[in-house]
Amino acid sequence: MFKKALLALPVAMAVGAAAQAGEWQDPNDVLQNLLQNNPDSAYLHQSEMNIMMMPDNPALWLIDEGEELFYAERGPNNVSLEGCDFGKGPGELEGAYVELPRYFEDTGKVMDFEMRLVHCMKELQGFTSDDPAVARRHGNGSDIMQLTTYIAHQSSGMAWNPPLDHPEEQAMRDAGEVLFFRRGGAMDFNCASCHGDSGKQIRASVLPEMRNGQEWTKAVSWPAHRAGHDNVRSQNHRIRGCVWQMRHAGIKADTPVNTALISFWNDAARGEPAVLPDLKR
Amino acid sequence: MFKKNAVAAGMAAFASVALTAGCAVADGSKGSDVDITAMSAEELAEHLIFETDSFRDQEMQEGGTWRDRMTQDELQKACSMEGDPDGETAGRVVAMARASYEAPESIELGDWRKGAELADSGYGYRQGHRTDDHSQREAGGNCYNCHVFDPRVSDQGTIGPSLQNYGANRGTSEAVLRYVHEVISNPHQYFPCTQMPRFNSDRHQLLSDEQISHIMAYLLDPESPVNNQ
Repeated sequence: MFKKALLALPVAMAVGAAAQAGEWQDPNDVLQNLLQNNPDSAYLHQSEMNIMMMPDNPALWLIDEGEELFYAERGPNNVSLEGCDFGKGPGELEGAYVELPRYFEDTGKVMDFEMRLVHCMKELQGFTSDDPAVARRHGNGSDIMQLTTYIAHQSSGMAWNPPLDHPEEQAMRDAGEVLFFRRGGAMDFNCASCHGDSGKQIRASVLPEMRNGQEWTKAVSWPAHRAGHDNVRSQNHRIRGCVWQMRHAGIKADTPVNTALISFWNDAARGEPAVLPDLKR
Repeated sequence: MFKKNAVAAGMAAFASVALTAGCAVADGSKGSDVDITAMSAEELAEHLIFETDSFRDQEMQEGGTWRDRMTQDELQKACSMEGDPDGETAGRVVAMARASYEAPESIELGDWRKGAELADSGYGYRQGHRTDDHSQREAGGNCYNCHVFDPRVSDQGTIGPSLQNYGANRGTSEAVLRYVHEVISNPHQYFPCTQMPRFNSDRHQLLSDEQISHIMAYLLDPESPVNNQ
């Protein structure tokens, strides 16, 4: 049943008029538009193979599994995640992913997507930090990545629009910007060392420029199947990898440095359509 | 979109109770007592790094703690801006870099073959979920991530300028040797707030003088493939 809906939806969307900012769009259609609008972007056009594979993106296979997990009654409390509020109300997933991080009254702090998901799995379903459902963050087989892919997919094609109305949302976004440019670690790098210019390469990888919205929306569009890893990866996994390559200290999951960075980088893609899930090199 | 409305309403009512109850338990998910809106963005960034348990408590390969590695020195602070430094900052950074540089008594080129290996190695100083073990493998220079030396060897980056035929175009005079040693040791002496790491400075000793002499040979030795393209 889920599968039929999954296959029907992109077709229905494709025949509709040109999608607007608020409308769901098949991730491949979003990518095709980005490619057409930016014929000179070496970043967007770097892998003909990946562009060709996009309609058969292996990340799409996690959507069904994530949907089953979302609605299954699980954990010590034997409840589904339909009570989880990602900011649009309990169980309301459409457009929720592109409006994170945000401030949540119930926890009194700004939370990014993964932090919020883990919060719900613990508080609603009763999982503990040691349960594999919560402890395993990476890889196609992890509950977290399956749930992430399903939930993020409900925002595909919608414009990044993380709220900044609450003073803590603005504060975390601004701190994230400072962190982005903060030189440090064993090699003096900041995020802008790699993402300050368009068309530059680290070895064979063409890098996205943060101030180029149409490059940056693809850059921050995780979950994405990473061809080189043969696994679907998250925004948090990207941060961990970057910080590791930058020779800063090892960053932990569910921590405010992640949240601040994601607050800034989703804001930097504001107004541009998300590719969810994406496929990357 | 794929949601099942039938059960959603009832679950939502249950969940709001559960969430309220959950809020009373700390479990690390409660907001901290610190008012983050009272801080400047710079203060909050420092607070997030050092006071929120965001980094693993590990010993770094160069010695010291994660805190030491994440604490900025004056040059890092001066260069933490978007884009190029203004004139005043650039002058200050050059002065800082020059003041801390110690020129060796003499500079000789090492073995370009060893230099090629170091330039083409990205191993070393990575820390966290996996940690580079320097007792198992020598740390490299990471040069190939950003500079093209010899595209026949590997895919090489373009963040820095291409160094193809570097020595062929400049020769190996004493002045060239001194300049290249200065740039590799602390490039801010010539390029204030460059993205290039300081490989041997008051802050970092990522490469020894011997390793630098090998990389210099790779760049400058007339026999090196860098100079025969």
